[in-house]
Amino acid sequence: MSMVSTTPHEHHDGEPHGHEVPWPVQLRSNRLGMWLFIFSEVFLFGALLTARFVLWGEHRPELSQEMGLMATVTLLVSSWFVYRGQTSMEFGDRKKFQTNFLLASLFGLMFLVGVVFFEWNVFGLQANVAGIELFGHLKPSDGVESGIFFAMTGWHALHVVTGLMLLLIMWNKGRRGEFTPERSWGVEGAGLYWHFVDVVWVFYYPALYLMGTPF
Amino acid sequence: MSESKSNAMRRGTWTFLALMVLTIIEFIVAFVFHASIIALFLIALVKAALIVWVFMHVTRLWREESH
Repeated sequence: MSMVSTTPHEHHDGEPHGHEVPWPVQLRSNRLGMWLFIFSEVFLFGALLTARFVLWGEHRPELSQEMGLMATVTLLVSSWFVYRGQTSMEFGDRKKFQTNFLLASLFGLMFLVGVVFFEWNVFGLQANVAGIELFGHLKPSDGVESGIFFAMTGWHALHVVTGLMLLLIMWNKGRRGEFTPERSWGVEGAGLYWHFVDVVWVFYYPALYLMGTPF
Repeated sequence: MSESKSNAMRRGTWTFLALMVLTIIEFIVAFVFHASIIALFLIALVKAALIVWVFMHVTRLWREESH
């Protein structure tokens, strides 16, 4: 079976042309493929989440609650902008799509900076503003209990980086007019990926910051 | 597409607000009421379901496309 599909620049009637797969069929296959990919990712993140409970049990390390809450809110805001951008594109509002995807990328970047720069504290900094400890104190070398924190946030951050790249690629494609309301799978696919990254954090945030008592 | 843009946007905004409220609730129940792991996990499940249902449009998986 041929994997060739129609593109927005070739045919606009949505009808199959010879060996080509009709667009509605292609779109359903794309969605199914993306959801299967997401399902496979659940096992990766689920395994790390399970490891957290095995290693920490009903305890957790002392982390900055303010930073954790801020990171969570930032990622939720970003997801909201992605939803707004995708909806705008589906209704043919390219300008709003671009604005929302840019804002989503900005908030995604803020989340990444919050985790890598502040929580991981890669430069070993110390700062206290209004009683709030800005930089984390955990180190990967502190042992396996600390290691699981870096494994969970690290794998998640890697997905955030990938998601950011996808959002910006789709923003650029949208800017160049490569999407139409009927043909915007790229926007939808990038949105699905980004929202999944958000879903993972929805479970990781309470598991890392809220569940159990401090060691 | 059967629904209007403003309806779709409004649904997204309400979902976002619900997610924010649930995040604040989980923070409060964790530190004020010292909620159990199960309770916090249940709140996370509700939040995830909202994202999957509204933001990720999971129902499109079994919907026929007309265009």
